[in-house]
Amino acid sequence: MKLNQIVLKDILRRKRRVLYAALGVVIGTMTVVGVLTIAYAGENRIYGQIEKYGANLTIIPDINSIDTKLGNLSLGTLTVGENYISEANLPKIRDIADGEIRKALDINDNLPIATIAPRLYVNAPVRGITVIISGVLPEDELAIKNWWQMSAGKYIAADNEAIVGAMTAQVLKLKVGDEIPLNGSTKLVIAGILDETGSSDDYQVVVPLITLQKAFGKEGLISSIDIRALCNACPVEIIATALNQNIPGIKAIAVKQIANSEMDLVTKVNRLMISLAGITLIIGVFGVVNTMMSSVHERTRDIGIMRAVGASRRQIMQVFMLEALVIGVIGGVLGYFTGTLLAYGIGPVIFEGVSIRALPQFIPLSLGIAVAVAAVATVYPAIHATRIKIAEAFRSL
Amino acid sequence: MLEIKNASKIYGDGAAKVTALDNVSLEVEKGGFVSIMGPSGSGKSTLLNIIGGLERLTSGEIILNGERIDNLTEDAFVAIRRGKIAYVFQQYHLLQSLTALENVLLPLVFYSANGKTEKAMELLKRVGLEKRVNHKPNELSGGEQQRVAIARALVTAPSLILADEPTGNMDKKTGEEIIRLFEELNRDGHTIIVVTHNPEVARITREVVSLQDGRIVSRTKNVGKG
Repeated sequence: MKLNQIVLKDILRRKRRVLYAALGVVIGTMTVVGVLTIAYAGENRIYGQIEKYGANLTIIPDINSIDTKLGNLSLGTLTVGENYISEANLPKIRDIADGEIRKALDINDNLPIATIAPRLYVNAPVRGITVIISGVLPEDELAIKNWWQMSAGKYIAADNEAIVGAMTAQVLKLKVGDEIPLNGSTKLVIAGILDETGSSDDYQVVVPLITLQKAFGKEGLISSIDIRALCNACPVEIIATALNQNIPGIKAIAVKQIANSEMDLVTKVNRLMISLAGITLIIGVFGVVNTMMSSVHERTRDIGIMRAVGASRRQIMQVFMLEALVIGVIGGVLGYFTGTLLAYGIGPVIFEGVSIRALPQFIPLSLGIAVAVAAVATVYPAIHATRIKIAEAFRSL
Repeated sequence: MLEIKNASKIYGDGAAKVTALDNVSLEVEKGGFVSIMGPSGSGKSTLLNIIGGLERLTSGEIILNGERIDNLTEDAFVAIRRGKIAYVFQQYHLLQSLTALENVLLPLVFYSANGKTEKAMELLKRVGLEKRVNHKPNELSGGEQQRVAIARALVTAPSLILADEPTGNMDKKTGEEIIRLFEELNRDGHTIIVVTHNPEVARITREVVSLQDGRIVSRTKNVGKG
């Protein structure tokens, strides 16, 4: 028999007390793991957006009134039905965008470089529910949204075909081959259904631009333009500035700028959360100190017995530190799982629409924090235990 | 083997001063069996506690096997508890989470990495508990628990066993069994000092020391025992 076996047997006898002590550790560790998981997801989402849209610019009319979004990045607001960009601006936009890229990358030919995808938004009822219908140039749109995958059917191949976002398909119960009327007269066939993207695309019906313009009498009008530059190193901010200076009535925004300011916000929120987690951790330490203190009092007699049969003060210290180790490991494991659950629960509330993933790389961190908390919290009670005198231990009964 | 020279123990000071031991001198031979008797407050438990290092002397000396032990630090006294002095208490003082066998092994856990199970089994057999080795204290009677405590005291092969009212919690019959066990242990060569109220216990010891008001008032050798 060894000292750690004695400790384990004692822990098994006092399961409830030990779990109670572990609770303080769990609360601290849970908060840290939860917060870090959320923070990681929050930052990751932005990194993902930058990777996806980093080379992009969006152009919208200069007067705005409803929300538009690119992925999860808010791109400002826009008034559908009243404020448009004229299609006539497209060649000029191409000239400026390609011109800046050529300058930056030292290219001398005159072939088109950037992908330019104009879009028209119309709010219209489909099967009785109002949805956003996007009119796009199918090929250019797909070049920009190269991550689009069809979960059923095919992409738009003709002017009378449409694809629908995953959520729209679900809510409107649309299948491939279904026909939907557009503004009464025009009939569209659902060619395909988009795989879920996690962006606002999930809620749209996407149709060819020309079809939408005709159906609603908006020939020559577009609501927004997405521009994808050739590369991540392309001077998107310079292009945006040049567009804003040379074309009246539009607002060009580099996605990077939006991402950067959103990242600043995320970083600030993360810092706040991490400091709150730190406070919880400290509260947890005090909780464990408290429980361990009463555990020492409870076991005054046992400590006296051990001392009487030859335990040194160091060995009494060891008994409590071993117990702290067990409490730390239990607390660390529980803390990791509850923390991850916490992240799943409140992550999407803190960072809207963020997708939380369990992060196994936090398991060692979680165990480390939990064991450290338990150990720190046990030092004082354990020292107290070593000061108990045998005679006093037996007299206290 | 054990020598107590002019031992005094005073609690508190000024008006609240209590003299628990007043200049007590006593020697116990190897193989001795001494009972200490006296009314409550006579200082008999204090005497046992100072021998066992549970309390400190105010003045005087305690010499065990030629070595002074009264001035040892708390940490140095640990070595005395590991094989020189063992205790048997009125309340048994067993760890509730451990079985009889594990309680007997407990002293060895603290000064060697591994307990010697065979030795503990042998001792449990010696005290007549070979059938109860895997029972926990709450599954044992008072007499059985005290037997476990005695086996635990023996496991380190101590020079001296100190017993504080070992039969104090027992009915007459169980108490007699424990007394007989102590008698056998002494016959086997163990040196034992026992504090007791029980005249039955005093009768079997070789010497009876009577205390009153912290002083030895009589020392009687039992006929046919010493």
